[in-house]
Amino acid sequence: MSIVELENVNFQYKGSKDGSLNNINLNIEKGQTVLLCGASGSGKTSIIRLINGLIPHYYSGELEGDIRVAGHDVKKTELHELAGTVGTVFQNPRSQFFSVDTDGEIAFGPENIGLEPKEIKARLNDVVAEMDLDELLGRSIFDLSGGQKQRIACASVAALLPDIILLDEPSSNLDFDSIELLRGTILEWKRQGKTIIISEHRLWYLKDAVDRVIYMENGVMAKEWTGEEFKGLNEEEVKSYKLRPIVLEEELIRDIRGESTSSFCDVENNIELNDFFFSYKRRPYLLFKKKFKESDGDLLNLNIPSLKIPKGKVIGLVGPNGTGKSTFLRCLCGLEGDCKGAIVSDGKIYKARQRLKICYLVMQDVNHQLFTDSVKSEVMLSMKDEDEKRCDEILESLGLLDYKDTHPMALSGGQKQRVAIASAIASGAEILLFDEPTSGLDYSHMEKVGELLNELASTGASVIVSTHDPELISECCDYVLGIKHGKAVYLKENKKL
Amino acid sequence: MKLDPRTKLFMVFVVSLIVMMSAITPFLWAIRLSITLIPIILMILEKKYSSALKFLLAYASALVLMFYFLSEQSEGLIASLLIGYCGIVVQFMPALITAWYVVRTTKIGEFMSCMQKMHVPDGIAVSLAVVMRFFPTIKEEYSSINDAMRMRGVMLGGGNVLRMFEFRMIPLLFSCVNIGEELSAAAITRGLGGEVKRSSVIELKLGIADFFLMAFLTAATVIFVVFKYFL
Repeated sequence: MSIVELENVNFQYKGSKDGSLNNINLNIEKGQTVLLCGASGSGKTSIIRLINGLIPHYYSGELEGDIRVAGHDVKKTELHELAGTVGTVFQNPRSQFFSVDTDGEIAFGPENIGLEPKEIKARLNDVVAEMDLDELLGRSIFDLSGGQKQRIACASVAALLPDIILLDEPSSNLDFDSIELLRGTILEWKRQGKTIIISEHRLWYLKDAVDRVIYMENGVMAKEWTGEEFKGLNEEEVKSYKLRPIVLEEELIRDIRGESTSSFCDVENNIELNDFFFSYKRRPYLLFKKKFKESDGDLLNLNIPSLKIPKGKVIGLVGPNGTGKSTFLRCLCGLEGDCKGAIVSDGKIYKARQRLKICYLVMQDVNHQLFTDSVKSEVMLSMKDEDEKRCDEILESLGLLDYKDTHPMALSGGQKQRVAIASAIASGAEILLFDEPTSGLDYSHMEKVGELLNELASTGASVIVSTHDPELISECCDYVLGIKHGKAVYLKENKKL
Repeated sequence: MKLDPRTKLFMVFVVSLIVMMSAITPFLWAIRLSITLIPIILMILEKKYSSALKFLLAYASALVLMFYFLSEQSEGLIASLLIGYCGIVVQFMPALITAWYVVRTTKIGEFMSCMQKMHVPDGIAVSLAVVMRFFPTIKEEYSSINDAMRMRGVMLGGGNVLRMFEFRMIPLLFSCVNIGEELSAAAITRGLGGEVKRSSVIELKLGIADFFLMAFLTAATVIFVVFKYFL
């Protein structure tokens, strides 16, 4: 029996060609697990939105065709009526929470449909036991890691007991271990007989869970495989579809989990980092803060007495979430003023504020670092002496010259990222830091970022990129630096593809 | 200590009321000061020592300045700036700090439950809850933007006050609008906005501390008003 039926569906968003759908015919049986894959903008998310009713009730546009979900005609059904039937886990853990505390978030859905408090508590207990969430209860959402947030998001969807669960790129912001947990949750839902539809770029964690795989291209369902066929695809075929790999090498997995047994390789042409200590648990001093030392031991969130990193190379910074990667980047570029570490490059020593001058961090959310009203002035802002010719050169090299006068906020995500990189180059930074530049990107965009990082390194800049993305590492990293519990644990050379 | 959200709302109301009415006699000042002490004590009970201390210092110094160094005859730029500063701190800070305490210590679920008990329509309750939910988001976004500005060395907007403001507000507005849009999409797929009356898993109960505090606040208001206007 079909639980989801899309018949001759055409859709186009108001004012945008991206993500439009062409003649979609899709029947999904009850209890099936379906994977939607394909490039960004190919219409995966639009299909998810058709099924949960956000199209046409929240995102408007031109819609033709019939959509029936569990007996409801979605076009004529109010969104809240679908709430007990269809549940959705979204991509961005930052923006899908209504409450600030975890318990309240899980209870939020059941409260909305007006269940009795007793019933809600029973459901809360069931979900918590099922998903092993005890340690996350009673916490503030804002103190959780991305992976923990996504587990709470899954729980709060499950508390409504929907028959159909949709996941829209759920692994984008997760590290390896969190993805494993997510996979466990999906398998548990599958065992309970729920119908699951996942839109995703990362494929390796789903290969044993899915019954059907649908490949989207430019708004059309271009190809369909059964789960078995999909597993059997070889590397070449997967690449030809511009998909991310289905199988990960064991060694790569160890690397990204920060569990490689390698030690530190020698690098001749290097940058030295000395005395990088930092702790978020500030000492209870009211008037002055104490300088952090190696002897502070467990108190430290970052504990790197000395480290030599290769110069002019791309270095992948790996390790599980919450283990010090971001702290390392923040301390290195001088954003954490309490970290008194020094960078020695070419015999020159850079301390404290000087570090800000030779380092530049491209943030995960680049929207935070674009301030002006045109791409050109964004680049000029970074220059000490404004030089239009140099500005044009930089924009040219990044393929942004045509967008010189465009407002940065009107650009696509990838273009914004390149604008941030352009201003990094303009600032004359020698050390470029990237915080998860490829989370949520499809294969070809990820490949482009990888090429760009390599180009940056070939101009002499040292590029340090924190990432959970195994594909990015095999694509572009010359070295891999593992961080665990705030300590550097290995630096090894990486075989690039 | 756990206070009922209703008590907290009442406290915001009373503190704002008394602090806004000008105290003229030493006795009225005494009432006003004791009311101001309540949020400070509550903050200490919540272990927010440094915030409590900072507020206490700012408030005390403003009071001392106002009573011993400034008078209606004060003249000059510095004196007038100081009068402005002290006036704002003494008049508005107690109410502000109380509101801050309430936002920090009330869970969204408790707040919604409290609104239901008081028969506030869901529409209003939800909007207020979203505002509360947004404070920490704004703080988080703002600090990321600040980091980015520090890194690019544009903290002072190149000496231009307008740009200093613009550089902070534009990215902040963009990300808040985006987050707001995704947030509401996520909330309505989980049934917000239905015709069903929302229920609440949190059952509120007034405790001894609530009654005691409410009685104290009511008494203080009555005495203040009586002494100010009728005696």
